[in-house]
Amino acid sequence: MAHVLFGVACVISSVWVFVETLNVSDTNQARIRKMSCAAATSMWLAFLVAGYWYVCFYKADKAVILKGPWPFAHNFFMESKEHLVILLLMLTTYLPIAAAGNLAANQAARRVVLWVAGLVVMLALMMEGDGAIIAMGVKMGLLAR
Amino acid sequence: MENSRLSKHTVSFGLALALASVVNGLLVIAKEKIPAVLAGMQILTGHHWVTHSVIILGLFLLGGWLFAQPNAGQGVKLTSNRLIGTLVAGVGAGALLILGFYLVGD
Repeated sequence: MAHVLFGVACVISSVWVFVETLNVSDTNQARIRKMSCAAATSMWLAFLVAGYWYVCFYKADKAVILKGPWPFAHNFFMESKEHLVILLLMLTTYLPIAAAGNLAANQAARRVVLWVAGLVVMLALMMEGDGAIIAMGVKMGLLAR
Repeated sequence: MENSRLSKHTVSFGLALALASVVNGLLVIAKEKIPAVLAGMQILTGHHWVTHSVIILGLFLLGGWLFAQPNAGQGVKLTSNRLIGTLVAGVGAGALLILGFYLVGD
């Protein structure tokens, strides 16, 4: 599943942005901007791949989950994930905008970047966990057949 | 020398993000509770989720542009504390609306 890989790349890039911003100086600002762009690009790729898969192929998995012993894997986890991921996409798109200024000289911009990167990491890890439960829901459904 | 002014796009897109997050949560509830909304969104692009994504991302981009227009094109003025508070409250409220709805409201 390519979207999981891109999601992990987004988490790693965002953690990178967070840590570098904590230690920002004139020498690492360009790297922070590049990594914030990497986080946004990874998330857009994850969103497009996962969106294509969801729209075209998820119907079969959904039927398996709903007939199996873990219907909540769809009813709660998939339903909330498909909408929370839009928040994550907007946050990652916003990250390079917030990181565009002079972070070494601007404490206010630094604080915004730290908050946004932190929110991205938390939400992206939550999405990874949701994905694992959804995949388990399919497995449980198939085992119960 | 330290300064504490945020760029106009940091503020405008931050506010747009908070607004779009809350609308995202409200749109979830609307389409799940009102069948006509879901059907309309289905017809627009062929899949309700695609329409949903386009509406929210469009609102984010439009809001980011609109909030950058006041004060003769210098954008909305906001302190970092106020922006972070608005942003976190907006994202938090949007997430809670979605999680709460599917946990108890659906």
